Amino acid sequence: MTTQPPTGLVLNIQHFCTHDGPGIRTNVFLKFCSLRCKWCSNPESIHPKPELAYNTSKCIGVKECGLCLKECPESAIFTVDPDLKVRVNWDLCTNCGKCVPACPPQALSLFGHEMTVEEVLDEVEQDSAFYQESGGGITASGGECLLQPDFTAALLAGAHERGINTAIETAGNVPWAFMEKVLPHVDTVLHDHKLTDPARHKKWTGVDNARILANFKKAYETFPEKTFIARTPLIPGVNDDEEHVRAVLAFIRPHKNVVDYELLPYFRFGESKYGFLGRVYELADFQPPTPDSLAKLRAIIDEAFGRTASPEHV
Amino acid sequence: MSTQPRRIAIANGGGFIPGLNAVVAGAARAAHEVGWELVGIRDGFDGLLHPDRYPEGGLVHLSADAVEHMSSAAAPVLGTGARTDPFHVRTVSAEQAVEEVDRSEDLLEAIRKEALEAVIAVVDTHALSVVYKLSRKGLKAVCVPKSAENHIAATQLSFGFNSVLSFAVDMLDRARQAAEAARRIAVVEVLGEHAGWLALQAGTAACADAILIPEIPFDLAKVAGKLGPKVTAGRPYGLIVVAEGAVAVSGHAVAPPANPLRASLSPGATGHEGGHVIERSGHAAAAIALDLQRLTDLETYPLALGPLVKAGAPTAVDRQLGLAYGAAAVRALQERQAGVLVAFQPPELKFVPLVDAINKIRTVPGDSVFIQVARSLGISLGD
Repeated sequence: MTTQPPTGLVLNIQHFCTHDGPGIRTNVFLKFCSLRCKWCSNPESIHPKPELAYNTSKCIGVKECGLCLKECPESAIFTVDPDLKVRVNWDLCTNCGKCVPACPPQALSLFGHEMTVEEVLDEVEQDSAFYQESGGGITASGGECLLQPDFTAALLAGAHERGINTAIETAGNVPWAFMEKVLPHVDTVLHDHKLTDPARHKKWTGVDNARILANFKKAYETFPEKTFIARTPLIPGVNDDEEHVRAVLAFIRPHKNVVDYELLPYFRFGESKYGFLGRVYELADFQPPTPDSLAKLRAIIDEAFGRTASPEHV
Repeated sequence: MSTQPRRIAIANGGGFIPGLNAVVAGAARAAHEVGWELVGIRDGFDGLLHPDRYPEGGLVHLSADAVEHMSSAAAPVLGTGARTDPFHVRTVSAEQAVEEVDRSEDLLEAIRKEALEAVIAVVDTHALSVVYKLSRKGLKAVCVPKSAENHIAATQLSFGFNSVLSFAVDMLDRARQAAEAARRIAVVEVLGEHAGWLALQAGTAACADAILIPEIPFDLAKVAGKLGPKVTAGRPYGLIVVAEGAVAVSGHAVAPPANPLRASLSPGATGHEGGHVIERSGHAAAAIALDLQRLTDLETYPLALGPLVKAGAPTAVDRQLGLAYGAAAVRALQERQAGVLVAFQPPELKFVPLVDAINKIRTVPGDSVFIQVARSLGISLGD
């Protein structure tokens, strides 16, 4: 245990979120993830260190500027034609970030920076009026917020001290000890059931789901007073089948503290960010689920929960 | 440094391109001539990084006898290394976490263990950067350039380009004939995200009506204006060749360039997470065909040749060039040169330091003779 207050590698603090826990919430996105879901909408959250991002459209070109070229110690920034925008050779870039302050139009930026618990909470608390009205609060998200267990635990404990409701979003692929450390400070646990079949889970996320399911089951049983909400990011052709939805229901329904199961229809939110990071989006040709297929699957969930229609069911 | 290499390796970074086996054969024969042993590393560097995946071993012995009957068009004897980057190897840790691990030291250690004194690496722009980084860490490497776009600036001609060009011309001829039969305008997209050599040279050889390349932003209205009078009752068809990286004058193609994501990437950029790169060719052709149809009375149809052109047997030029590149790589090592790229700068094969070869893309200059020829043939370049 460190005596220093833990700092966290924070990607972003997003205000006025309405889909990640009760009420109006402030989402704190932390970097670092132990899965590689091919549909990931936050690719900039994956790696446990700050990363360079390059938004070509903001670059004003080397004729006007070109300052970054001199700053890069790795020769990772270059031009093809002298009057054009710079390019980043991602194979050579080490994410040192020296080019970032040299870029006046902020075409080059770093994803992720170290913050203390107090710094984060001070920003989060600015929205406290909205929390009181709506029953909202802070949601630690990511990446995988449980991979920074000391920071996340301290952050959420601090939020509680300030009277702020807490939630986390987790995929559960962490050592149990991490979950055990953070969950005492969480009011609502939003947790992902991405795929049922272990082999398919491995194909689409990089690992099978044995540890994830074991963690969730243990969490339901160890923390009976907590509210759990299961979620599936619904990717057509990957996991938008009845079989998966029914398997998740079978897994969660014996546990009364799992109060809902939400389906999050896939959108191509993350696509442009892949470009900024020099990566290519693998799922470019996937389409969002149709309203019909979504309604059909939600009806199954409503039935399992003994409801006539889910709150999201428009 | 004190002795000449006796046992060397050859590896292929990236995918197949015609002439690859000729490079291997050239290196094997040249190594045999000087009494060296040549081995091939399977699938980029995977043969050394993941030997467990290869029941027959991660290395292939490449004696002169072994390459004697090697077909020039067969599947590459080395496999392909399109997903190999030893600096970012996706791994599942003992903690069940997926992570990208820098295994470059493991690779260098495996190379030492196998007593490989140098590596000849066949490279595209991505692999060139990777090998450059490895050479900075002490790997003795000689690179051989391959490119379907012929955009590696250090060399006048990467091997593979001539075969790709020949096949593209053949396909364009067929596309024109199909367009004639259908009485429509064929819009055919060819490789060329950063440089328009393939579109320009193949399109000119096939006498296309218009050729759109990344170097010359196009105005589709001008293309339509030029096309209109040509496409008459007596000749109710046409052929437009578009490089996948072509952009409109406005900056955002009438049509987005091949793929707005890839357009923002550096040449050869790949996913750091293990090379998650997908080919999304066809977008430029589809968008331009659609817009042209809107702008004119002409009916169009898009066609993307995509990576099809990178398969098959090499032309005579690429067989010669491949053999020459392979042999020259061995000669570079004989001359104790390492950290270089073999470059064809007619009439010579020269050795260019890797540091001078990275980050250099050869685009079509405005005063290129190919552009002059195309214009003099009445081909619209979209400007």
